[in-house]
Amino acid sequence: MIMTPRLRKFALAAHITLAVGWIGAVAGYIALDVAAATSRDAQTLRAAYLAMEMIAWYVIVPLALASLLSGLVMALGTRWGLFRHYWVLISLLLTIIATVVLLVETQTISYFADIAADTTTSGDDLRALGSTLVHSVGGIVVLLVILVLNVYKPRGMTWYGWRKQHELY
Amino acid sequence: MADPPPYPGTPRWVKVSGIIVIVVVLLFVVVMMFIGGGEHGPGRHAPSGDAGDQVPSSSVMEDHAPPEGGRG
Repeated sequence: MIMTPRLRKFALAAHITLAVGWIGAVAGYIALDVAAATSRDAQTLRAAYLAMEMIAWYVIVPLALASLLSGLVMALGTRWGLFRHYWVLISLLLTIIATVVLLVETQTISYFADIAADTTTSGDDLRALGSTLVHSVGGIVVLLVILVLNVYKPRGMTWYGWRKQHELY
Repeated sequence: MADPPPYPGTPRWVKVSGIIVIVVVLLFVVVMMFIGGGEHGPGRHAPSGDAGDQVPSSSVMEDHAPPEGGRG
């Protein structure tokens, strides 16, 4: 079902807000992740791990799921479709991959936070935990690739899209 | 009714991006296997003692189950 122009504008505004918010939240998370990776101070490490869990569960995961959903609405509610253009299809696949990796990674983040929340955990133990930098930096790179694809919308129809387009005429 | 034009094929940017992604993933796997030397997956922070100096040494870790999934 194709959305009316007014509804499409609203859905687009919501989708941009959610998707860019996801990138911003990951950027904030990376700041804490860098602190977790580099700091030697037990208080800083404890605070970083606890804040990482809060941001991951209450900001990043909701924004990821909501932007995946709003992206589906935008694709299916406009003439772009979900499988007709390569840039839409690749954006969808990358978003799904990023969301799945994020959901898996939250288990590690919660594990770190559980240890950090334990007041008997020593500074040495906190310093030995490490960080999730590989996934968080990798995640923001994937999100920026999706952003670029969505802004430039490079040409190229899938075989399915090509067939559908020529069925109409 | 005229036949539809033939499908022009996958665009070049998709092919080039696909090749770049495959190369980057392979490089990453090689780096993780040979240079990183680290285990990438569940249990890297497990208190089993076989993950090198990444594992906290105290008994505090024994109270916390490691996650099922991977880690960064």
